[in-house]
Amino acid sequence: MKRTVPLMIVMVGGILMILQYFIPHQISQTVLAYYTDWAPIILAFALVLGVGSLTRIHSHKIRRKAKNWQYSYAVLIPLFGMPILAHIWPASLSGGMDSPSIFHFLFMHVQVPIQATMFSLLAFYIASAAFRAFRAKSALATLLLLAAVVVMLGQVPIGELFGRWLPETGLWILRYPNLAAKRAIMLGVGFGMLATNLKIIFGVERNWLGGAGK
Amino acid sequence: MSAVNIWERMLNIDRRWIFLGIGIVSIVPFFINFGMPVRTTIEVESIYDYVDELGSENAIFISFDFAPGTQAENMPMAVAVMRHAFYNDVPVFMTANWPLHHGMMLAAMEYVFNPTTEGFYQDIDFDDWRELREAGVTAKGDLVDAWESQGNQLPDGAMGWVFEGRDYAALGYAPVFNLVILGMTISIETQYPIDAHENALGEMPMLQEHKSLREVDLTLTCSGSAACEWWITYAREKIGMPVAFGVTAVSATDYFPYLQTGQVIGQMGGLRGAAEYEVLLAENGITSSTDKAFTGMDVQSVAHILIILLIIMGNIAFFAGGFHKKALLKEGR
Repeated sequence: MKRTVPLMIVMVGGILMILQYFIPHQISQTVLAYYTDWAPIILAFALVLGVGSLTRIHSHKIRRKAKNWQYSYAVLIPLFGMPILAHIWPASLSGGMDSPSIFHFLFMHVQVPIQATMFSLLAFYIASAAFRAFRAKSALATLLLLAAVVVMLGQVPIGELFGRWLPETGLWILRYPNLAAKRAIMLGVGFGMLATNLKIIFGVERNWLGGAGK
Repeated sequence: MSAVNIWERMLNIDRRWIFLGIGIVSIVPFFINFGMPVRTTIEVESIYDYVDELGSENAIFISFDFAPGTQAENMPMAVAVMRHAFYNDVPVFMTANWPLHHGMMLAAMEYVFNPTTEGFYQDIDFDDWRELREAGVTAKGDLVDAWESQGNQLPDGAMGWVFEGRDYAALGYAPVFNLVILGMTISIETQYPIDAHENALGEMPMLQEHKSLREVDLTLTCSGSAACEWWITYAREKIGMPVAFGVTAVSATDYFPYLQTGQVIGQMGGLRGAAEYEVLLAENGITSSTDKAFTGMDVQSVAHILIILLIIMGNIAFFAGGFHKKALLKEGR
């Protein structure tokens, strides 16, 4: 029963949504409207489950003084602090309730710089990795290296100094060989997704059930 | 010291020197403005031309589908198209597919409406023009005349008035955004009964004219992830909505197939794409000058040159030192 009911729900829901997509009738649109209303509500329960699970794991780490337990505070304090500052106590830096709020301040001056810094570090590591790993060791590696150099120079204004051919060659690489390769990958991934989804809908693939009912 | 040792030392250069080099070339061009010309490409021109054809009877979506990590690339795209739309009085719906992205939407608005920004737009809150709205004055030209006849003057340096609810609606984040797109193909209001400022969408003139995505003319998704594909799957393929991409340089290569099939009308790839749009705006008098993306191209030019030089140096040392013949290289090379 624990396995049959979820499998039936997935099968009926999956087939219904596939059919719905291809039927532009009013009833079909009503089904879609109901679904788009229901799904976020159901997913909200998943959020509760996720927050609850995260809280339990990190509280447990703090209680047991497990390795790096201090970092668990860095998870739990923002996890509860930011929603409180956003919805329950949206106070401003001046102490009143006018904008900008403390939430806004923390977002703009903590969250944004942290994320921007993390991403910016890529430039440094890419440069170092390019120096150490990008070698013309074989014909294919040389081809890759040349294509990379042409595209890199073609993408920036300084590339024009080498002549119009350079940016145009860079664009040609992007528009034709790159496109062909990407399309092949996308088609492969697409067919793979289709096959996996059909296997899930028709109950052939059951890993998503975990150990339920065993 | 033998020749081999020189090459070996070169290959084992302390990575901090490379980091220092990248640090210098990332900072110096901000102080020495090279202003190298940026040539526009068909991928960006097609978005510009499309937006330029629109007027006050049309509407567009700008979806902020990026986090602070990629804002250097994505933000200028959103800002440029927002300015273009405001210049042509095209109403703009703004959405975000993730809570963090909602903050990016607010930051973009803050920038475009900030009086210290060159060529800013003067924002009028939804409540501030309630009387005119209730009197039925919602057409842009009439609205501006009526507003100015009440003694309001456009500040110096401002490009124009933008009325919340008429010229833009900050819808913001809503959970399970792919379903939100799907839902908006039927009704925008059911997905967003209120906007990010808690204004009722049903009272907005722009919503009364554009009730669902079927009545909207374009979505520009500024995306730092594969979220842009949601707009293709749920809006372009379902109802034929025109979609344009503004994506990071690293993911721009992924989406050329969509361009060739015509599923995407155009694409701004990375900082370069944003800079191209800024150039088109400046060349056509929509903005008085280019903005951050164009300035950033100088940095990117020098950084790319440095990385290419590093690759060349690495290869020279590798082959001149004969390391290509050796099975084992020192650790860390």
